[in-house]
Amino acid sequence: MTVSAQNTMPAGSAADHANADAANTSEPEGSVVIEGVTKKFGGAVAVDNISLHVRPGEFLSLLGPSGCGKTTTLRMLAGFEEPTSGSIHISGQDVVGVPPHKRNVNTVFQAYALFPHMSVAENVAYGLRQKGTPKSEIRERVSESLDLVQMRSFADRKPTQLSGGQQQRIALARALINRPAVLLLDEPLGALDRQLREEMQIELKLLQSRLGITFIFVTHDQGEALSMSDRIAIMRKGRIEQLDDADSIYDSPASAYVAGFIGQQNFLPGMMTSDLNVMESPFGVLRSVIPHPELEAGVDAQAAVRPEAVTVTATAGTSAATAPTAENRIAGEVLGVSHQGETLQFLVSIGDGQTLLSRVPRPTAPRLAVGDAVVCTWDATSVHLFPSEQATQAQADIARAVSNPAPPTSSISL
Amino acid sequence: MTTLTERQSASSPKAPRRRPRWMKLPSFALAIPAWAWLFAFFVAPVALVVWFSFGYKPGIFGTHANDVLSFDRYAEALSPTFFATFQNTLWVGVVGTLICLAISIPFAYWLAFKAPVSRRGILLAMVMIPFWTNFLVRTIGWQIILAPSGVLSEALQSIGALDEPLEILFTRTAVLIGVVYNYLPLMILPMFVAFDRVALPMREASKDLGAGRWSTLFNVTLPLAKPGIVVGILLVYIPLMGDYITATVLGGAKGNMAGQMVANQFQTAQNWALGSAMAVVLVLTILTTVAIAALISWLAAWPLRANQKLVLGDKS
Repeated sequence: MTVSAQNTMPAGSAADHANADAANTSEPEGSVVIEGVTKKFGGAVAVDNISLHVRPGEFLSLLGPSGCGKTTTLRMLAGFEEPTSGSIHISGQDVVGVPPHKRNVNTVFQAYALFPHMSVAENVAYGLRQKGTPKSEIRERVSESLDLVQMRSFADRKPTQLSGGQQQRIALARALINRPAVLLLDEPLGALDRQLREEMQIELKLLQSRLGITFIFVTHDQGEALSMSDRIAIMRKGRIEQLDDADSIYDSPASAYVAGFIGQQNFLPGMMTSDLNVMESPFGVLRSVIPHPELEAGVDAQAAVRPEAVTVTATAGTSAATAPTAENRIAGEVLGVSHQGETLQFLVSIGDGQTLLSRVPRPTAPRLAVGDAVVCTWDATSVHLFPSEQATQAQADIARAVSNPAPPTSSISL
Repeated sequence: MTTLTERQSASSPKAPRRRPRWMKLPSFALAIPAWAWLFAFFVAPVALVVWFSFGYKPGIFGTHANDVLSFDRYAEALSPTFFATFQNTLWVGVVGTLICLAISIPFAYWLAFKAPVSRRGILLAMVMIPFWTNFLVRTIGWQIILAPSGVLSEALQSIGALDEPLEILFTRTAVLIGVVYNYLPLMILPMFVAFDRVALPMREASKDLGAGRWSTLFNVTLPLAKPGIVVGILLVYIPLMGDYITATVLGGAKGNMAGQMVANQFQTAQNWALGSAMAVVLVLTILTTVAIAALISWLAAWPLRANQKLVLGDKS
């Protein structure tokens, strides 16, 4: 447990943490501090002792497969669930036990949850009406809010007359009208098609930087998380595996799970040598530059390398002088070539039933055919070593997550 | 191999097979069975009843005659003796429906939103189980409970709540208890379905936007469940107004209802003309009260609608 708690600590927040209790009242508007929060449903643990500090004005994503606890975490922030233990502070105020309608946060729901019996304008006005805002001010602010999402001309329609993307914008305008300190978004783009989703990603990010509101965004789509977030919290089985910005998560994954979950990864098995940067494998010696703290000489390990880090060169026709130099070299035979648009992907058999995936930008890609003898090379800096057990477990979890995409949380059965 | 190719060529002709033009029917043909049923078992009998109501009873052995038409049977149906029964019926119908409403709304709400999901099946079954027993048998069961020497009376006397036997059997109160008991499930079921269909995210969105429990109930939950609530009310009020079994078994002479009166005219008195006039008065009473109730509820929701209404119009 202490390991994951440490993982959740963002760089430089140790001081914030120490001061958290003393400085509660002086916490700036829009900050979210989750401290040791656990949520159990009956005997099942949905969220397992997580701690998370969200900075004011930050775009933070909670990323993970279905059942990892990301939606439960969001619902505890909104007030729809109460934590079994732990504390939650929003803008410095302790919100445990505060009902949803008294929290200065708003939510964009997965299936939008627009009220079908009200027009678009009435939906957007709902939050202001609950506060008893005067009608003239309501008109003005609803107009403004609809302008913000470019939906002013749809004000008097019913939500059912709008497309998914338009409903999405209305849900956003409705949630933003009360000017919350924190906006919670529960897979808001999940129901949109790919192109619209990409457009909305850009718009959401622009809106967030313009308004300066803290966004907490729940998603199972790593593309969404990587493209919009200032920081990403990768969740697994109710815990936070890693909390960092997109670059760090991609380049220096804290665990085999994060390494495999974000992007693609080749995992190669082997055994650690006395040099903790070097792993002996059936395919040759593999070198890294970052030793894993849990690894020691003689234990089983797995080396992870991304397909885009692997260069493939034909063995035939290259002399020793022209052969690429790199710390890691494995010889193999091309099993398949697939065109991915801007890249070519090679599947290389390296013996022992093991394959290696390589992705090369098209202009620099070698012309290779199935059956060609090749040598795969990559730098030691792109290799991460993980204990074998952790890597196997991570790969099994990821495979399960891929085969069970997140079900819509709105489905309710009798 | 040959058989396979032959079969394939036989079953997949080059062009999709078209139905000959004469076999095509206009789309309203789909509704013909329903229209036929509605006409034969609703329109025609009602028209016949209305027609009979303008006639008279020709003699001891005749049931109806229509050679002289008049409104006399209506005057007769509304004469003081019969009018009291209509008043009584209206009282039982309205009060019974209101009691059902007062029980059904909280219960259906609780069942849809608060009861544990795993128990819902059992709870719904408990609502339905009385229906497995015959209507008449269930009503006679209440006779045993409500009788002066019955279970309820004895229990109340033994705890000292009453000094003498309970005298409510064969009164309007007994009829009221009976109809509430008999019709309650008909209201609970559609209301449960209606509340259940108000998706949880809608209610959560309302709370998220700053609405408390009551505000969420009146602004979101009830408006969205309205169709089911209306169905529940109509499903209870209309058959309740025409009910005569409950009134016969539990009401006696004091708890008379219009349904009984109509049945008496047709079966015992053999006066089809008067019975028809009474039936028409009953139908008109039901239609009028439903219209009045609709108007009242529309007016009652006026402030809420006015508060909610927001039309921005075109951008200028």
